[in-house]
Amino acid sequence: MIQFVQSFESEWLKRKRSLASWLVICGAFFTPLVITVAKIVRHGALAASSRLPNYWEALWKSSWESMAIFLLPLGAILASSLITQLEFKNNTWKLLHTTPQRYGVIFLAKLSVILVMMLQFLILFNIGIYLSGVLPGLLFGVSYPAEPIPVTYFMTENGRYFLACLPIIALQYLISLQFKNFLVPVGIGLVLWILSVAVLSWPYGHWIPYTYCSFNYLKDGPKFTHAFPLITFALGYFLLFTVTAYILYLQRKEKG
Amino acid sequence: MEQSYILETRALGHRFTDGAAVLNDICLQVPERSVYGFLGANGAGKTTTLRLVLGLLEKQQGEILLFGQPFGRNRLQALQRIGAMIESPSLYGHLTATENLLVLQKIYGCPKERIALVLEMVGLSATGSKKAARFSLGMKQRLSIAMALLHEPSLLILDEPTNGLDPNGMIEVRELLLSLNRKHGITIVISSHLLGEIEKMVSHVGIIHSGSLLFQGTLAELQQQRSAGGRLSLYTDDQSKTTSVLRAMNIQATFDGGKFTMPMPQQEMIAALAKELIGSGVSLYELSPAGNDLEAIFMDMITH
Repeated sequence: MIQFVQSFESEWLKRKRSLASWLVICGAFFTPLVITVAKIVRHGALAASSRLPNYWEALWKSSWESMAIFLLPLGAILASSLITQLEFKNNTWKLLHTTPQRYGVIFLAKLSVILVMMLQFLILFNIGIYLSGVLPGLLFGVSYPAEPIPVTYFMTENGRYFLACLPIIALQYLISLQFKNFLVPVGIGLVLWILSVAVLSWPYGHWIPYTYCSFNYLKDGPKFTHAFPLITFALGYFLLFTVTAYILYLQRKEKG
Repeated sequence: MEQSYILETRALGHRFTDGAAVLNDICLQVPERSVYGFLGANGAGKTTTLRLVLGLLEKQQGEILLFGQPFGRNRLQALQRIGAMIESPSLYGHLTATENLLVLQKIYGCPKERIALVLEMVGLSATGSKKAARFSLGMKQRLSIAMALLHEPSLLILDEPTNGLDPNGMIEVRELLLSLNRKHGITIVISSHLLGEIEKMVSHVGIIHSGSLLFQGTLAELQQQRSAGGRLSLYTDDQSKTTSVLRAMNIQATFDGGKFTMPMPQQEMIAALAKELIGSGVSLYELSPAGNDLEAIFMDMITH
């Protein structure tokens, strides 16, 4: 356990100033910023909307619209690939593999950094949603929203989105560990994401592991007909991809 | 008493996936506290051997022992005591020198004070917030050495560590390595094709060519072995008269490139030859041992 913590700290340090760490911050605040600007432009409607009984749920829904379908899957694809590619880009696999660490610890520490970055992304996104909900009102002297923040609903949905993007992270991690060329994992990720958008209305679309963020957003919609255990599917794929990634990682004949 | 080796390989062999042999029966024996020069031209198999020793390549044939224990079963314990730099520097370009060392400090759990110490050792204390990607090749090379030294290893494995360094940098690195060996007893394995550079710091030598170990022993043994089969070079102003003198003294010599070369005669015979040549009116420009420096020995070994 101590070795894992040491390894995680080391991996966490590597992401400092990396493109992936900037992506997390910029990606998390992008949609809230757009919503804030839109509210400022249409500030005449602020007073009426702040009195709505479902103010926060409506804001949550509009914030997640682009996030669930575009930004979260693409962010997961890019962040997973960028973090893993740090070793290829810097020619440091040989450095990492000559440190006294078990291969399993290296594998898990790297994956954990990506997962913690996704959590970081969700936390920042939630802060962004909150700010986009209160800042325009404060600027134009509109009273604080009447509805209390539905914390339980937000937390549950955050948890579901986090689990829904796990298969993307695991498969991107698997691919990124195998290919030196950064374009390979990103290219495969983009193709799978485009495919996932295309199959959303297909009855078997839920078998494509990149669809779950979108399905989680669409699940409350009137036209949603996919009755499947989303969390079970997501966790199943995550476990499958993670175990496969580890086996392939262990079997690499050249470790740097 | 049996010599103890800090690093030993037994019949180490390796083949590429197409079946071509890269290493044949390599039996390295690196004594404790030695500076072992692993010499060979580019592509001779030096890096492959060192990558096998460090577990970066999957072992196919033979045995690897580090600190007297088989490497496979004791990988973590062995790596805890090894500092390594293989081929080009491995650094995180977006991090500073201190941050690069911090990445390793977290893993090894060594005191943070070591970071400033090793940066001082390699002359990189003043790099501040400069990112490693903006370092010159020489600075990168020195930072890699600092990273290999961070956890106070007992064995340092350096693959071409002076590549990219200017002559002054080479001297600095050489002095640093020699001081580490003498003051701290660190065993150093250093591979290179820069033979003149190696000659000035090693106590033991292994020469590899086309995947086979041609020689292994102390530097003195190598020079002794080769001087036994050494040659004498003779350069005069008169080929014909010189040939006559050599015949008269029953010395077998060959003439090539304006010079005579012959098997190294006894010291008395060399003096007599010089006296005879001068007595015959031949101007003697040069009478010197040929091919006793490491460069010549190395070239002779790999070409014969």
